[in-house]
Amino acid sequence: MKKSRILMVLAVVVLSLVFVVSCGKKEEEKAVVEEAKVYKLGLSLAITGPTSDAGNPYSKGVEDYFKFVNDTKMLGNDTIDCMIRDDQYKNDVTKRNFEDFVGQDIVFYLNYSTGSTLGLKKDFEEVKMPVIPASYHAGNLDDSNYIFLPVASYSEQLVALSEYVVKNHKMGKAKVAMFIHPSAFGRGPVSDVEKAVAAGLNMEVVEVVEHGKDLDNSAMLQRLMSKGVQYVLCHTVQSPVATMLKDSSRLGLTAGSYGEEGKLTFLGVHYTGGNDLIALAGDACDGYTWTCSFNLTSEAGEGTTQQLALAKQYGRDDKAANSHNYAAGIMVAQVATEVIKRAKAAGLEVNKENLYKMMNEMNGDKAYQPYTTIGPVTYSETDRAGVDMLQIYNVQGGTFKKVGEPMQSEYMKKI
Amino acid sequence: MAVNQWLATGNYFTTYQQEQRTFSTHLDRSIFSIFLLSLFVWPILFPLSNTYMFVIDNVLIAVVAVIGLNLVTGFAGLISIGHAAFVGIGAYTIASFSQVLGDSHILITHFWPLLILLGGFAGAFFGAIVGLPALRLKHLYLAIATLSFQMIFEWFIQSMTFFNQGQTIYIGRAFFLTGEVGRKNHYLFWYYIVLIVIVLVGFGVRNLLKTRYGRCLVAVRDNDRAADAMGMHPGLTKVYAFALAGFLAGVAGGLHAYLYRGVGFESFTLHHSISYLAMAIVGGLGTLNGSFWGPAAIQFLDLQVENLAELAGQFLPSSMNIATALRPFTFGLVIVLFLMFEPRGIANWWRIVKSYTKLWPFRY
Repeated sequence: MKKSRILMVLAVVVLSLVFVVSCGKKEEEKAVVEEAKVYKLGLSLAITGPTSDAGNPYSKGVEDYFKFVNDTKMLGNDTIDCMIRDDQYKNDVTKRNFEDFVGQDIVFYLNYSTGSTLGLKKDFEEVKMPVIPASYHAGNLDDSNYIFLPVASYSEQLVALSEYVVKNHKMGKAKVAMFIHPSAFGRGPVSDVEKAVAAGLNMEVVEVVEHGKDLDNSAMLQRLMSKGVQYVLCHTVQSPVATMLKDSSRLGLTAGSYGEEGKLTFLGVHYTGGNDLIALAGDACDGYTWTCSFNLTSEAGEGTTQQLALAKQYGRDDKAANSHNYAAGIMVAQVATEVIKRAKAAGLEVNKENLYKMMNEMNGDKAYQPYTTIGPVTYSETDRAGVDMLQIYNVQGGTFKKVGEPMQSEYMKKI
Repeated sequence: MAVNQWLATGNYFTTYQQEQRTFSTHLDRSIFSIFLLSLFVWPILFPLSNTYMFVIDNVLIAVVAVIGLNLVTGFAGLISIGHAAFVGIGAYTIASFSQVLGDSHILITHFWPLLILLGGFAGAFFGAIVGLPALRLKHLYLAIATLSFQMIFEWFIQSMTFFNQGQTIYIGRAFFLTGEVGRKNHYLFWYYIVLIVIVLVGFGVRNLLKTRYGRCLVAVRDNDRAADAMGMHPGLTKVYAFALAGFLAGVAGGLHAYLYRGVGFESFTLHHSISYLAMAIVGGLGTLNGSFWGPAAIQFLDLQVENLAELAGQFLPSSMNIATALRPFTFGLVIVLFLMFEPRGIANWWRIVKSYTKLWPFRY
């Protein structure tokens, strides 16, 4: 009897010990697991379908940079898991992707097109999700608190380009035509340029041309010439610009040097330029003037060296490595990583609320300078455009070359 | 009628009324009732994430639109390749109210059934107008007329500042009984609403096809001169077919506007019109159940090709952009294969399956 009692007590003691030890082990395991956190991010964009010529290298830029962050332990043991989905430029697919990401508790979202950014704006507000789109449409910011443009809006770029035209025009009032995409994306900045003109910008907008899918622009170019147009400001995508440049070159209408009288000088904003334009238009794009907020690999520098090294490290071809859209993808990934780093450094939990807070604090001393852009990224409660500076580039001998120092629009503050 | 009304075997119709019945046996009725009940119950028993509910909602809305298209193209034989424009008219009717009154106006948030119905009537009105050329035009020429309507719609929406030049016009969240339908239940709520609409529309169309007006549609499709000789009015029938299709498309557009909580031009392009037509063809033109099979099959195919294209995009060189071509290629291939080998669509497979089970327990 006594023996059995002792055995029972022993059994209870042993079981209790096993229980306590196993609990302790679990706690230890938990602590190890807690040390390495995975931050989920989402990116929905057109890897295939319309505009995939820009979306494809953009996605590679995002993917490579986050791989780099994880491989180099930039966040310590923590890692970033950025889910990249192809939406084929279809808004319903983007919405589905976004719902999926939200269901997986992402802390930061990267979007792509203008249409889907506008379509999801209310969702971003409801979910309180900080978002960086690849669309620089100024309308994205109307009634929005959570959308952050990576660089200056299309409107600001086109107004800045207009200012550049006026500043460098030699005689009288500059006569300008605008060549725009037949959509809200194209039309959006037109009214801002007109407002700048009304506010005193010394130029005349002679005609606004909404291009179709024309394969020949001869009649349009001759018409512009007959109206005395000297500058054509483009806000569209590369292929229609390439068609127009080739036609102008064929007709002998392209200015030999910037602003040559009696000829046409072509200028354009972000999505009209880049290496794809050179590939499409060839020699015809010599002299084309372009604004961009990213460093280009055709101009050697520390930033572009790092960009090329990143592309090489992850086995990207030359086309992707040298694309400004690859740089744009890296840039948004850099900003997202930076706010995560800052939240961690401040001892805050990495969640969408704190990342939003970090985004809004990214100004003054806390402005962020990624290696991909020509100026610092600044955001605040009132400033929703990241890089405010714009670099003018000009095609010389088949490559884009810097012209002067980075500039900023003056008239955007007035209108 | 036979004594045992549970089985089709041995059942003979002795009156026209018996033949016109929706369910020929008690078994049919019971199976359908259980199926319908399960459609209402499964989301509660097996809740899905917002992502999947969103996909299902999209399929159901497409079902409403395709039933309309099937009426005009399948039953009345009038080719329409501007159906997305009619869907767009329904959506933009609600968007117009949002533009004028604000997206959170009580009319938009509380009286949404009325607005969806209004969207349907706007679709019917424009459907009737577009149907007018059908009085003179046939076949390809009529298809071109409907294509023109699609083009006019796109141009109109993209040019009008009132419609934000095609950019998203927001629609407020709907209210129902206890209050606002929140984000959590949004897709589930609209699942039930669209399901109720489908049940009503499905029974409505099924009954319509048994009436004089329904038979007129089929008669005009088969031979409009013969129909005329039989005392029918082919012209009026065609206009009325377009109006009815426009109504259902408009209702689908209204549902779309509330589901997406916004109306953007990109959802009503020619591409979408072609998709609706593909759904009708794959499902089975001139059959009601084809309108259910088609959208489900095309959406499923779309999802699979989407995954395949995404996978291919990672391996194939981007300069060739082959992945981009995968989707339209597969889409076109499926339509061609169906037209060649199964022009009666998936509905025919369903008919074959049903005919096998109809004689049960006898083999023939």
